[in-house]
Amino acid sequence: MRFRTERDGLLEALSTASRAASGRGSGGTSTPSLQLSLHGNHLVVTGADPDLVIEVRSSVSGDSDGVVLVPARLLVDIVRSFEPGAVVVTSDDDEVRVTSGRAEFTVRIPSVGEVSRLSAAESEGITLPAALFADGLRQVVRAALADDTRAPQLTGVLMVATDTGLRLVATDSYRLAFRDLSGVSALSPSSEVLVPARALAEIQRLVGTRTDASKDAEPPPLVFHHGELDAVFDLGEVQLTTRLLRGPFPDYERLLPASYPSSFTAAREDLAAALRRVRLMVRDTKDATTPVRVSFGEGGAELTVLTAETGRASERVDGAFAGEDLTVAFNPTYLLDGIEAIRSDSVTIDVIDSSKPATVRAADEDDYRYLLMPVRVS
Amino acid sequence: MSDLAASADARRGAAGCGLDILHLDMDCFFAAVEVLLDPGLAGRPVVVGGTGPRGVVASASYEARARGICSAMPTAVAKGLCPQAAFLPGSFARYAEVSRCLRELLTTVTPLVEPVALDEAYLDVSGSHGLLGSSVEIAHALRGRVRDELGLECAVGVGRTKLVAKLASKAAKPVAGPSGVVPGAGVLVVHEAAEQEFLGRHPARALPGVGARTAERLARFGISSVADLAVVSRESLVRLLGASAGRHLHELASGQDQRRVEPVREVRSLGHEETFATDVRDADELERHVRATAGGVASRCRNAGVMARTVTLKVRYADFSTVTRSLTLRAPVASSSLFAEVAAALLRELGPVRGVRLVGVHASGLVVDGGGGSRQLQLFEASGFDPSGPGSGWTVERRSEVETVTEAIRGRYGARAIGPAAAVLVPGAAPASVDEGRRA
Repeated sequence: MRFRTERDGLLEALSTASRAASGRGSGGTSTPSLQLSLHGNHLVVTGADPDLVIEVRSSVSGDSDGVVLVPARLLVDIVRSFEPGAVVVTSDDDEVRVTSGRAEFTVRIPSVGEVSRLSAAESEGITLPAALFADGLRQVVRAALADDTRAPQLTGVLMVATDTGLRLVATDSYRLAFRDLSGVSALSPSSEVLVPARALAEIQRLVGTRTDASKDAEPPPLVFHHGELDAVFDLGEVQLTTRLLRGPFPDYERLLPASYPSSFTAAREDLAAALRRVRLMVRDTKDATTPVRVSFGEGGAELTVLTAETGRASERVDGAFAGEDLTVAFNPTYLLDGIEAIRSDSVTIDVIDSSKPATVRAADEDDYRYLLMPVRVS
Repeated sequence: MSDLAASADARRGAAGCGLDILHLDMDCFFAAVEVLLDPGLAGRPVVVGGTGPRGVVASASYEARARGICSAMPTAVAKGLCPQAAFLPGSFARYAEVSRCLRELLTTVTPLVEPVALDEAYLDVSGSHGLLGSSVEIAHALRGRVRDELGLECAVGVGRTKLVAKLASKAAKPVAGPSGVVPGAGVLVVHEAAEQEFLGRHPARALPGVGARTAERLARFGISSVADLAVVSRESLVRLLGASAGRHLHELASGQDQRRVEPVREVRSLGHEETFATDVRDADELERHVRATAGGVASRCRNAGVMARTVTLKVRYADFSTVTRSLTLRAPVASSSLFAEVAAALLRELGPVRGVRLVGVHASGLVVDGGGGSRQLQLFEASGFDPSGPGSGWTVERRSEVETVTEAIRGRYGARAIGPAAAVLVPGAAPASVDEGRRA
């Protein structure tokens, strides 16, 4: 195999694909690898683990076809270190040569193998509005469970067909976020799939970088199809295949309070900035974090963080409050996550009492909810 | 650790006098609270403690102490010494409430308050001099406020270290003797210059870590007071008592006490013991007691904001022989039903029941649950699901707690030793599978 291409494009392809090459599934023993596959002028870079496959297609100037497996991390580091300009990649049976300018690297190829593959998804492809979908992911993925040791199904985002469109839901059992994307029909009526948040975070990132890159802010089309076990997101030059998670996903609709006796509305940035400040006093331990106490009252809310070892911080945030005065304690990071997910300039926090779920939402929009359980302080 | 010690030293240096540690000890706390609630008891001998045939004295007023009654004495003996005393069962909840008020009062002086027991606390006032004056002034003010605001008496010791402050508060207490009660100084300040002399006149047993056995061993070498200890070389003490105890005592005797005032004192273990009025011989009855005791300990863990990794069962038989069995879990738990399950499994391990005089359940390997008593609540536990309904009581933590305990019990007693209650427990009947499990 031999091809010639530009440093920037190659780096982008290698680093995108390497995000799926976690090394998981090989027992953690082998070095995460990428597969480079050349046919004519078409280069496909594939990174894979048992749950996620990312393929990046690009056009290069090809000399001879071939397929080669390379150590992911090292190759990314090598190409990143080059100055912008031409890069030539050549491979034979047991090594890959990468040259740019006067720099020349000869990299031993890991023992012969293959990247893992997921079965091709069956369903017909549906085009999703990429920007809208990515915005929904930005708001929802944050509520998913980060590590899967406790409950694997909570590391996913539930995509469920509703009467009016598509709903995205995620929860780590402490908070729950959902976003309604009206008019988006990605699934057959009343069906649902549970997609790993890790894969969706990649989709969100890919759509974001592509929107930024194309100056007219029009992201490329995003085609989605899924089968029983896997789902594919196709962004043109990047195709992401993910294994689906098995439920059951918690019956979250029963958790949504019917009504809230009290609600507080403030400027989103004021509230977020105050929270970021008082959060400086938080001391995280392995088991717990310091809560922020939010005292709601007429005309505003007082945020207080208090720890035995570091001291105390408090700040008052002006806002409109309707209801009985009350104080509720939250994990400050979870609360900030909810507030930062809101797009509009004013944010509303609905509360019941100090032990029932509170809701963070936009003051003027109804399509997003972020439910958050308080911290009980004794 | 040395950084912390250094910064504490720097603080002390800045305060000037160096006498920044206060130890406050309430005077016969339980009895005094009872007198406070029933002023008719004032001036009478008051004894709080177990009133059953095997009860012991928990607290005695100075009037009762003048008759020779002291803590840990069997109540029956105390009754013999002073039949006219008021013998009260006491109420832990009331004492805890007064203790909470005391703690609030103390934290207005400094955030560095380390409660040692309901009626005792250390304070580091190195940061309070600007507002409240010298340590001596603070000590007197505290005593006055405890009297005015709580209606109770206390003694305050002031010194350079915790050891000195603690011994000083003891020395400032009233003394009850056969001829009556001699009032104490109330506040005793031990200046650095007088420290060695003050420490030296205490018996070696006054030092923390010196119990009856160590005191006896020291006495055989002619060491009875702290002064005697202070002149023995560290090497000799290490030879005599072993490396860690020897070094520790050498430091304390020479006035070195590195222990800081720790505002949130780590609870190391929690437990509860029940002494039966008459020996229990029935297996089911014994298991009920063990389960109830375990449940109570779990509830105290939850109140203290901690979870336990190790559950220990202690059983004392009629002949006073005592056995303990413990089980350490992979992850900490604080649920009453799980504690009860573990304790009951440990009880079954002991085999056929003979007359049992006392059972105790202790929780150790404690970890803070949710940071200083705070706990992140879960969506699914708040949703009003029926926890016993199939699948509906789904909460991540609850399930993992159950699994942790189930796994530990199975690991020790066999696969069929424990399962979901619905599968094995028939009301009123011991599940057959439990017995099989034990043999396995």
